[in-house]
This record gives sequence, structure tokens and C-alpha cells, in this order.
Amino acid sequence: MMKSAPLHWDAHRMSAATFVALLLPVIATVILRGPEMFAPVAIGLSLGLLWSFVFSVLRKSTVQWHSLISALIFVVLLPVATPVWQLVISLSFGLVFGDLIFGVRGRGFLNAAVVGLAFLLFSFPAIEPDSGAPQVAIVAGLGGALLLAYGVLSWRIVAAFGLCIAVLVPFLPASADLQNLQSATVILGLVFLIGDPVAGASTHLGRWLYGALAGALVILLGQAGVGLGSLSSVVFAALLVSIFAPLLDQIAVYANVRRRAKRQRYEP
Amino acid sequence: MHYDTRRGIEAPLGPTPQGAPLKTPAVKTVALLGDDYPNVVFDLRVKEGDAVRAGQTLCVDRRRPEICFAAAASGHVSQIKLGPRRRLEMLEITGAGDDAVNFAKGDLRKLLLKAGAWPSFRTRPFGLIPDPTATPAAIFVTTTKSTPQALDPHVVLTTETVDFERGVAALLQLTTCPVFVCQRKGAPLSPPRDRLKIATFSGPYPSGNAGPQIHRLMPVSRQRMVWDIGYQDVVAIGHLLATAQIKTTRSVSVSGAKMAEVAIVPLGAKLSEVVGGMDHFDPDNLLSGSRLTGQKCDYLARRDLQISALETDSAGGSFWHRILDALPAAPTGATLPTEAFERAFPFAILPVPLMRALAVGDVETAERLGCLELIEEDMAPLTRLCPSGCDYGQLLRHTLNLILSEGVA
Repeated sequence: MMKSAPLHWDAHRMSAATFVALLLPVIATVILRGPEMFAPVAIGLSLGLLWSFVFSVLRKSTVQWHSLISALIFVVLLPVATPVWQLVISLSFGLVFGDLIFGVRGRGFLNAAVVGLAFLLFSFPAIEPDSGAPQVAIVAGLGGALLLAYGVLSWRIVAAFGLCIAVLVPFLPASADLQNLQSATVILGLVFLIGDPVAGASTHLGRWLYGALAGALVILLGQAGVGLGSLSSVVFAALLVSIFAPLLDQIAVYANVRRRAKRQRYEP
Repeated sequence: MHYDTRRGIEAPLGPTPQGAPLKTPAVKTVALLGDDYPNVVFDLRVKEGDAVRAGQTLCVDRRRPEICFAAAASGHVSQIKLGPRRRLEMLEITGAGDDAVNFAKGDLRKLLLKAGAWPSFRTRPFGLIPDPTATPAAIFVTTTKSTPQALDPHVVLTTETVDFERGVAALLQLTTCPVFVCQRKGAPLSPPRDRLKIATFSGPYPSGNAGPQIHRLMPVSRQRMVWDIGYQDVVAIGHLLATAQIKTTRSVSVSGAKMAEVAIVPLGAKLSEVVGGMDHFDPDNLLSGSRLTGQKCDYLARRDLQISALETDSAGGSFWHRILDALPAAPTGATLPTEAFERAFPFAILPVPLMRALAVGDVETAERLGCLELIEEDMAPLTRLCPSGCDYGQLLRHTLNLILSEGVA
């Protein structure tokens, strides 16, 4: 039960909470990777601002600050050796076609960083992603805990994701490196990509199914592709599962309608 | 049977009013508000300047002229305000005196209709005044505290036991259907007997409203209609039967962040006159209803038993709350579907799909998702939490009217 008055979540507030949660992973990444992160962060933030301003002028509306957060998530998960022009193209694609083109945040159904990263990995498959430092994984977990406490991140999605992976791990071949499932990429992906409320399911049952499907896809794509916990497995799992989210919500709606029809016949 | 829910909004709004001391502010102005009765077209029976007595018919429902709306005070009609499409918006009576109409005893239904007590019933589905000849599947008496600063009905009823009992007996006599008294845990407010059933409820706002209780006990549909009535309206029916005069006053709580008082005011009282003799209340910033979901209005709405001072909400005092409060307000836009909606909505109805169906005007989906079980007041928590700025109560009313206009089987 909530002790204080529930927060009124508007788009700015939710972006601010996500920004606070994202701050530690960004700082940790910059410290660990050193000066070579300065350029991507600066370029990412400028692109985020640029596209928000362009769309606010075109639509004659206020600026959507969430693009900055999408850009930061994108940069943190970005493989180190990505050339600048590839970063610019894929991040722009993600921001415009993943988020801004739908209008206000909440009208779209995808996460801009997911779309951008998927574009990058699809178009330039030669890039070698790394799985991130364990320190980043820990601070990303802390950020996730903050978002969980605020109710921005659904605990049902996180629990279903964890449970599904725990169920599937025994079926993996002995050669699989399970350590990679706790890598920074997986934790960041779960908290900021899969857990994005706009991209996710919007019913309780839908969230359970959504988290479980995301976990299964991370294992499946990881095992079939580059390796468990790889960036591509997390990004494509997040992309696929957000496309499936409305279908999962429909399953929840069918179950709810059936249940209420049964209650209609009940006489006290 | 006891029902407990944890879903709802639990907000520390301020002190809870105690049963005493009772205030009886001198209220000279009362009003009948058109918005309290959705879909009713009023036929006026009085003109501006006419002298009226308490209980006298002011207007009737044009489609069902047996349903009368009675004056809540004696005096003269000081103002009649018509709104869009010349619908009655507000009828104001000014004056004093206790000149009241004496009603002849006879058929119970006719008496309730004539004395203006019939509009205390509300149907579900649709939230309208029931037809004069209709029979419901059940009648629900809401005897639970709805918001944190509302009066405790058990305390109010301790001095009204006889009238309440008489009112409940009248409800049993009115129809052959079961009557549910929904109350908090404790001694039954009315001894349970054949068709009278007691159900107890606990939980945060809005689990004390009629909606969640009917949803638990007897979910309504196109085939099954129930009525609900507030506990003070039952007392008023008991009073009417005993004295042949209508009961024009209600006990309400008058509350703010630091103060809570109990006052006895006439129906439709002008709010600024109610707080006239009380310190700490700004007469220009008052809500009819609670601070969570009340309406800014000059008069007490028909079903509200609470008057709140509108203040800047400093309830969330934590550091992060204040940081977030300092942010500029975001433009209104789309829903951000967090779990907060499910947490505040004590129905087995999926809030976000329903909100989306209502927002795009998808009547069939909204009905499939259960919008017939809801009325405007049930949507208030969602309207409050949703960042889109939609008024889901209004959207629901629009959808319900579309379903009505297509004809109910």
C-alpha cells in the first residue's frame, strides 16, 4: 500500500525519473571507457535536442525531453568501435521513426533507443559489441530499483523475465556462458529497453506474458546468434516483444471478458 | 460477508472530522443543479421571483413528468440559469423560514415521486434516475465512508437510527428485490432479515463508493439493473414517512489540509455561506466533494456529503516528490500505461484498455470491457492519475449515452 499520495505521472516527470536512474550507468560507462565516450555522449545529446526541436517546430508544440534520455540509453549500449556517421544515422532513425513521428510520447509503441540500435546492428553487422563492465551492471541494477520503487518499471515484467530465464537455463547446453546473462547489456536492456512502459504491455496479465516472452527471446536469440547476453539478442528481443505487446494485451482482455461474463451469472 | 481491497488511492489529506461539535451555518441560498442529473430535460414549474415552500415541486422530468424535483428550502426563486440548448443549469432559491409542504400519506412510490425523493435513487448501468414504474434486481444502500476526510456514516447514523430503520423498511416495501446495506465492519446498521442483507467493505478510496460494492456483489449488465442510494437519503425517506415533510438538511464534512469540521447544511447549499462562520477556509476556493476528486462549484452537489478547501497539494512531502513537483507541467498528451492505474481502480475491469477505448470513442470495445458497470464517479481516480488530461467521466457519459441511444435490449 502506498504511504504517500500517488505521484501524478506526466511525461516530464517520468522522463526525469528515468534520467535520474540512467545517470549512474552513464557516469560509470564514461569513467570506465575514458575520454573516447565524450564524443558519442555529446553527439547523442545534440542529436536528441536537434530532433526534438525540429519536431516541436514542425508540430508547433513543446519540446519532448525524452529524446535526450533515448539518446543516452543508445550511447551507453553502443559498441565502442562504432564510427560517428553510423551513430548519427542510426540514432536519428531511432529517434524519428521510433518515437517522434508518432507525436506525443505515449502514442508510439516502440522505444526509440531499441529502434536505433536495431537499425545499427542490422545495417552494419560488422560491428563487434562488448558486453559491458560488471560495475555498469551493478549501477544499472540500482537505477532499475529506483524505477521499480517509483512504479515506472513494472515489477511484474522484471519478475516474469527473471523467472522465464531461470526456467530456461537448465535446457541450455553445458558450454553456454551463463555469466553473460548478468552482463550490463542485459540489465540495461531489461530496465530501460524492455521495461519502458510505452513499449510494454498495459495489463497485469499482459505484463507477465510480456516479461516472460522477453526472457525467452533473449535466451533464444542469444543461443542461436552471437552468444548469450549479446547486444543484438537483447535489442532484437526488446523490438520483437514490443511488437507483440498489443497482442499480449488482447489475450489479457479476452481472459478478463470471459471472467466477467462468469461473474455476471453469479447471484449472491 | 466481508470484502477487503487494497486497490485505491491512499492519500494523507488531513485530519478526519470527529462527530462533534456540529456546526449549523446560516445558509440562505440553495440551488438545484442540472448537472447532478445527467440526461434529464427539466420542465420548470416555477418562475423567477415566485415564492416557494420547502418540498414544493420546482421542476419535473419532461420525459417522465411523475418525477419531481423539490425545493430544499422555503423562500423565493432568485435566479434561474439556462445552459446550452436551454437546459436548466441552476435554479437558486434565496430566503429563510421553515414553511414546508405537508404530503398526504398513501402509495409509497407516489409519495417518493411527489416529494422529490425519487431522484436519490440512481440506476446502474447508466447512472440515471430510475423509471417510476421500474423494478430493480437489488437496491444498494451505501453506508461506507468514501474518502479519507468524509464523515463516518456510523457516527452520523447513531442519532438517526429510527429514521434510517424506517427508511430501510420503506425500501423493502417499495420492491420485492433484495436490499443490501454496505457498511464497514462492526454491528449491523440494520438487523439483517429475509431480503435485507448486510455486506461489509474495507479499503482505501474509492472502495467506499457504490460502484466497487455493486461490482463485487451483483455485477450489472444490459439484463440486470440495480439502484443505489446514499445513507442520508435513506434517513430522509424515513423522516418523510414519519413527519410527512421532506428532510432538507444533510450532515457534511467541511475539511482542508489542517482543519475538519462537521456541519448540517441544506441540500444544494451555497458553499461560501457554509464556510462563512468558519476560520481557515477561503470562500473562493471550495470544492464540492473531496480534495482528490471534487468539483469546483459554487453549490453543494446533490450526492456530495463533503466540502473541501482547494489548496496547493503539499501532501507528498518527500524530497523526490518536491523535486518532481518543481518540474514544469508537461503538455497533455497520451496515456503512459504504468501500473498506477490498476493500483487505483478497485474493479476487475482493465483500466488502460478501457481508457483507450473511451478516448477513441470505441463504444463496442468499451462495453465489452465493462463500461456498463461504471458511472462518472468511478472514473475519477483514473482521470486524476492520467497524464493525458482526458476527463474519463465525461467520455464515459458520452459512451453510455451512445449505448442508450442505440436502445437497450
